[in-house]
Amino acid sequence: MPNKSGSVYGLTILSPIIDDEGATPSHDLQIRNYLARLPTREDSPFALAPGTHLARLVVMDDVIYVGMPACEEHLKSKYLVFESNCDGDLDGYLRGLADSIPEHLDAIWKHCVGYPGAANRQAFIDYMKACQLDTTFYFAAVNDKSVSETLRALQTQTAVAEFIATHQGADAATLRQEFIQFVAQLKSLPPPRPGSMGPHRDIKTGGRNE
Amino acid sequence: MSKLNETDIQGFVLRGYNLPVARYLFLYFESAARARSLIGRLLSHVTTGQRWDGAKPQSTVNIAFTHRGLERLQLPDATLLTFPVEFQQGMKHRAEILGDCGVNSAEHWDKVWCEDRVHAWVGINGLTPEALDARSSAVLSAIEETDGAVVLDSQDAAAEVVQGRPTTREHFGYTDGFGNPDYLGVVRSSQPGQGKLQPDGTWVPLATGELLLGYADEAGELPIAPVPHLLASNGTFMVYRKLHQNLATFRDYLEKQAGTYAGGKEKLAAKFIGRWRDGTPIELSPDNPDPVIAQDPNRNTNYTFGADAQGTRCPMGAHVRRVHPRDAFGFNGRLINRRRITRRGLPYGRFVPEGESVSDAEERGVIFMALNASLSRQFEFVQQQWIQYGNDARLGNDKDMLIGNHGGHGRFVVQGDESRTNPPLVCSNLPDFVELRGGEYFFLPSITALGMIAMGLVDPR
Repeated sequence: MPNKSGSVYGLTILSPIIDDEGATPSHDLQIRNYLARLPTREDSPFALAPGTHLARLVVMDDVIYVGMPACEEHLKSKYLVFESNCDGDLDGYLRGLADSIPEHLDAIWKHCVGYPGAANRQAFIDYMKACQLDTTFYFAAVNDKSVSETLRALQTQTAVAEFIATHQGADAATLRQEFIQFVAQLKSLPPPRPGSMGPHRDIKTGGRNE
Repeated sequence: MSKLNETDIQGFVLRGYNLPVARYLFLYFESAARARSLIGRLLSHVTTGQRWDGAKPQSTVNIAFTHRGLERLQLPDATLLTFPVEFQQGMKHRAEILGDCGVNSAEHWDKVWCEDRVHAWVGINGLTPEALDARSSAVLSAIEETDGAVVLDSQDAAAEVVQGRPTTREHFGYTDGFGNPDYLGVVRSSQPGQGKLQPDGTWVPLATGELLLGYADEAGELPIAPVPHLLASNGTFMVYRKLHQNLATFRDYLEKQAGTYAGGKEKLAAKFIGRWRDGTPIELSPDNPDPVIAQDPNRNTNYTFGADAQGTRCPMGAHVRRVHPRDAFGFNGRLINRRRITRRGLPYGRFVPEGESVSDAEERGVIFMALNASLSRQFEFVQQQWIQYGNDARLGNDKDMLIGNHGGHGRFVVQGDESRTNPPLVCSNLPDFVELRGGEYFFLPSITALGMIAMGLVDPR
């Protein structure tokens, strides 16, 4: 199955953006404007809806030929590109999006050709699947664990590191007793919210510096 | 590869002078014409890369310019615009990339670096304080007689002298200055571990273009450089950073952590950096410092981490392992060979022996200077990815133990094994041991280029 690696799904959707000379600002700029203002971390729509490891929304205006000799090529339309690493079964994932964040989906996709709205679940799922590309190779940023398993693992890692840091040098009996207590407490904790586990970074990382 | 024209390259680029005292002058140019005449006067002072053959000079002089300074010298726009973006922007502007925030942000810098007025750096090194003063006076006379510049500030630095002999120790007590890279064509007493690692385990010099503009680099390309070629060739870029050291904080922290560490205080100090305080690589001698290794040029930089994948000898986050991962990333070292920098510098401030009272507020630290062909690809990458981040070292968000910008929240893990004297330890709540007090990016031109600048001959056409 070209879109799946283990239980994780690589979803790629290209939705053509409405080309209307009468619209001001143009539909693609309206999408850009909405995307630029979306919150990240816990309040991201993809943190509110279930099942997303990573998601990316991009407006693709056109293709630019890089090479020699230069030549001019154009897409037939501008596209909204939606890429996501998500859990599992595609219908369930799309239904989860439509159930949890219909107002975001509508605000973004209403600028796309033929978008039926999220209220009609089946029409929404059919539309998204009609726009889907088979991904074949995609960036597998996650191991074969679900979002909730990953969040639990991060929570456990952080808590264990903290436990070690605060219990170094304790005698064996105390350590054992407090570890048992710690494990029980950890088990009873609710799983962390998606988007909450990344530390705030005050430094740019990755990519080109320029 | 023929050898380089050493007489056209500033000596500071090709070799660490090993002169124990230094003064760095920061100049402001009021007039292009007068500044050019000053540079012309200083040309005869500038120390080249020509070898000394035993007759070490009493003092040396070298010059470098900020982009602002080159603008003030009225280099043509067509030249100024071809300098790499990060050099045009200057170090302060690159704060977000470098992690120069919190206590390291510009509002805490020395006045001279807050004002964006530094046009040039003049570095003077001396064998003795007298020789340094004499050469400084000569430079200052040239400044005065030409009225070529205003001296905004000066910074003195000096090696710690023990029993009449200068050492390479810095304030935290570590012996410093091992292992600058070797480059093709640069004649110096090289030693294994200082160039790039070959698949057969030997070390060979890096491509000249990792240090000098105008030569092929490790990718087989000429580094990004300004036009005309003659202005750039045999020149390099220099980072100047004044790094304040919180000695009291460091000693307290080490003492406190050592209290729960069965390996003992000196071993923990060695784990922080990857070298015992005498310089012995902990990778080669995990249980105790070994002066025989520390002083043997064939051994003291000659090691890899392949047999220590878990970091039980040298921790994954130890300073030397972070900033020179050697064999850690595979691909025959190609991911590392493009990130090497040449370091210069000396400590400043009073040395305080262990056990004597000391305060963080005292003026004390190290003047860190790094030379590289590409500030963004080399220095900035090391600072951003290997000092202020831990992903490449498989340490998540952990920063460099010693010079990371921790703000009291840092963590450093000492990996251990089951033996009694090498236990694991998690050091938490790391404070800022080192704070940035200012600095800038400079262009260190060749002797020819200095002449072109002095005579107003820079012509990009």
